[in-house]
Amino acid sequence: MTWFEREPYWFKTAVFYEIHLRAFYDGNDDGSGDFRGLTEKLDYIQWLGVDCIWLLPFYPSPLRDGGYDIADFFSINADYGTIDDFKHFVDQAHQRGIRVIADLVMNHTSSDHPWFQQSRTDPNGPYGEWYVWGDDDTRWSEARIIFLDTEPSNWTWDAARGQYYWHRFFSHQPDLNYDNPEVQEQMLNVLRFWLDLGLDGFRLDAVPYLYERDGTNGENLPETHAFLKRVRAEVDARYKDRVLLAEANQWPDDVVAYFGDGDGDECHMAFHFPVMPRMFMALRREDALPIVEILEHTPAIPANAQWGLFLRNHDELTLEMVTDDERDYMYEEYAKDPRMKLNLGIRRRLAPLLDNGRDEIELLHGILFSLPGSPVLYYGDEIGMGDNIFLGDRDGVRVPMQWTGDRNGGFSRADFQQLYLPPLMDPVYGFQAVNVEAQLRQPNSLLRWLHRLIALRKDHPVFGVGTYEALRPENPRIFAHVRTYEDDIVLCVHNLARSAQAVELDLSRWEGMIPEEMFGRTRFPRIGELPYLLTLAPRGFFWFQLRKEEGE
Amino acid sequence: MSEQALIEFVTGQRWFGSKTRDAIHATTVDRALLRESEPRLELQLIEIGYDTGTHETYQLITDGGLDALGDPHDVRELVALMRAGATMSAEEGIVEFASVPGVTGAGELRESRVVVAEQSNTSVVFDDELILKVFRRLEAGVNPELELLRFLTEHGFPNIARLAGWYGYSGRQMSATLGILQEFVVAGADGWERALDAAVAGDEAFIDSLRRLGEVTGKMHAVLGSEPADPGFAPEQASVESLGLLMATVDEEIESIFAELPEDVPELEPIRGRGEEVRERLRLLTNLGGAGRVIRHHGDFHLGQTLWSGDDWVILDFEGEPARSLPERRRKRSPLRDVAGMLRSFAYVYSAAPFLRGSEPADDWEERAREEFLEGYRDTVDQSLVPFGTSMDKLLRVFELEKAVYELRYELNNRPDWVRIPVAGIVRMLEEEVPV
Repeated sequence: MTWFEREPYWFKTAVFYEIHLRAFYDGNDDGSGDFRGLTEKLDYIQWLGVDCIWLLPFYPSPLRDGGYDIADFFSINADYGTIDDFKHFVDQAHQRGIRVIADLVMNHTSSDHPWFQQSRTDPNGPYGEWYVWGDDDTRWSEARIIFLDTEPSNWTWDAARGQYYWHRFFSHQPDLNYDNPEVQEQMLNVLRFWLDLGLDGFRLDAVPYLYERDGTNGENLPETHAFLKRVRAEVDARYKDRVLLAEANQWPDDVVAYFGDGDGDECHMAFHFPVMPRMFMALRREDALPIVEILEHTPAIPANAQWGLFLRNHDELTLEMVTDDERDYMYEEYAKDPRMKLNLGIRRRLAPLLDNGRDEIELLHGILFSLPGSPVLYYGDEIGMGDNIFLGDRDGVRVPMQWTGDRNGGFSRADFQQLYLPPLMDPVYGFQAVNVEAQLRQPNSLLRWLHRLIALRKDHPVFGVGTYEALRPENPRIFAHVRTYEDDIVLCVHNLARSAQAVELDLSRWEGMIPEEMFGRTRFPRIGELPYLLTLAPRGFFWFQLRKEEGE
Repeated sequence: MSEQALIEFVTGQRWFGSKTRDAIHATTVDRALLRESEPRLELQLIEIGYDTGTHETYQLITDGGLDALGDPHDVRELVALMRAGATMSAEEGIVEFASVPGVTGAGELRESRVVVAEQSNTSVVFDDELILKVFRRLEAGVNPELELLRFLTEHGFPNIARLAGWYGYSGRQMSATLGILQEFVVAGADGWERALDAAVAGDEAFIDSLRRLGEVTGKMHAVLGSEPADPGFAPEQASVESLGLLMATVDEEIESIFAELPEDVPELEPIRGRGEEVRERLRLLTNLGGAGRVIRHHGDFHLGQTLWSGDDWVILDFEGEPARSLPERRRKRSPLRDVAGMLRSFAYVYSAAPFLRGSEPADDWEERAREEFLEGYRDTVDQSLVPFGTSMDKLLRVFELEKAVYELRYELNNRPDWVRIPVAGIVRMLEEEVPV
């Protein structure tokens, strides 16, 4: 059943919301979130203004990597419900005008997956060539090790088969062998299976690593792009209005390749990883340059493509796409306790990273929402949830959503001991202090503020589809830029400093126009020939719509 | 026929809804032959594509020309197919016709006339006995009017024009309700017009009849909430967040409209600068124990949706608010939303009577109308559907406030002369005691 009018570019102006199903809401009182629970919370997600939910993996899995270790691509983890629960959820989301995409890991499977088990024990059997096996664990040594904290090598010895298997991530996640056409075909079957059930697309996890080739680092290979083109062609031919969102933690020059050639024939969207740490860096340094520079070095993308932008997500705040010096700086500033570090990153949520500073949280959201791309929010950050760095791996940022001040934060009616992870209960970030129910009722809460910001952004397609042009004022503490789409011209001015700032902007091109502040609709003085002077509060920002003078 | 001619025909109809958009494509996405003998009668689903990449689907019934609904012979065929319970195959789906035994009748239909007043549908009245409403712009999913009329008809709720039949399409592209046949109420007097007359005439019998309207409304809700085994209609507990979401939504609407009240409208004086007071009032009103249960309900309830048949009320038009999407209109909500809609309707009668009838109703007309209606409602509604005690009064006022704020925006944009009606409603709520 089609619920939506056809709208091929919906994702260009959409607000995404990333949900860890286990953490969101427990609908069957077993201590773990599930599809029934999530379905109950759709009214909240609709109210927030979310256009598309992105679900972390919900497939059967031994959960050694938060479900990114998939043991069956055609089913649902029993903790989360059934295929029928999934279908009901997608239907209910669609009824509210919300689309749903899901994580899909194409690169590897769990070592528990029957394909791998058969591949190890029956090298000549049907799955013998489904994984990447080798007698030599020094081959492809140019490929970096991603999970530095846990993995000494990309090869692991398998005694049953008497060979090494290749894995770009954990040793319990063997890489699939994409040189095998059967693997390619099966992965297309996986995509079709979920799209046929109504899913609106995929966030493709770890796409750069599908193939291995001698003398390369095994990332972004032409063969990988060729396979993604095949996936896109399949989706375009059989399905309408679906989206493929690439997770390619790479430099912008390499990432744009994932949009494909010409008009864009690979992924519709890709995350812009490098801009993320630079927003944090700019804030700490009180200097707009890191953001301005990375956007300058971001190539143009096809008209039908879009960047996914985010502040935080379910992983560590990744610092792979910064220089060594910048990384040291980020650790120094944002991970004072070594427990906060993980691999090349910082495993903290947004509010604690910003010392729970309301102005800073608002400013970073302001910048995020003003940049060219579609913002992706992480569940719980809209109420300023905290984290628990004493939990292992990335569990600290995957704790239960805080709905109310009641038992278990309203997340579950199960016994406390039964919960998959303890909810936060500290006096600053705990559920008694930070929860949806209370923030809905407080007009000045972060939640209510963010709700208005989302509504404002959605009123102005220019944020999704407009051009971007940085203004380079003399005051380096000000990040100012202009977005333009047809007659809609928006001037965004952000003060990264802890102190009040004045800035002179050269707006002579818009002489005669009136800047109207977009939140309060206050009209500012007309733009004249001289530089336009603005003063901003500490960490303050203004968005203006440039309007023609009335009567003209 | 050429694509261009099809575009011109569809976009030229009064039922074509998207007059401001640029239609660039028209394709027949499916068709079904309804009558083989000449003149052949055909159902066509036409997809109109816009320059923005979006599309809409419209229903055409053709007999060689482009629109057969004006032809008595052809429209009667649709009723005949319902009576026969026919299933016709389309190229990519099926068209199913159905009737309600005992309501559809079997006699020959003689006279038919097209009702001209309507915007988005085409309605045909047969012999002043049945009325066929053909939906033009199709939305995927079950039409709420069909759903509610069918439920109420099957449960013997007497105060409606009963459902007699319907037809719908299911196919690969979409499933949609195509048309509804129901009883035609002959001698009905429009509730809104009647209320205006009665208000200026000081007609006591009318005030009394509002108690009856309250009873009918309460019964309607009780019936709609009476089937716990039917997932489409089973009453559900309002969710934990529902009150917070309602409060936040109304609060932001108040904030935004008070921030931009125009300076040059003197009717706004009684509320100008009082936005914070209204928000404070909302906070007090939303401090309540629970929001009761949510059910399927009328959805767009006001006096204009009622008829007085001479001895009782008939409730009409279960389509819900036309501006909302179909799934949105099918959502379960508190039945008190309907009640609030009717109470605001009384406020409109009281304030609009001087414009529309040239004289003033008695000062206490609105107050008395409210009291009578609410007493009737409380007598018949299933108490488990609404919050307990004063919580009900508070929740009802929240919905009234929501409506009044909505009206304020609407009247400011469309009918500045009417602005004083919602203004008076808001002032009334500010001056009233908060129920404790």
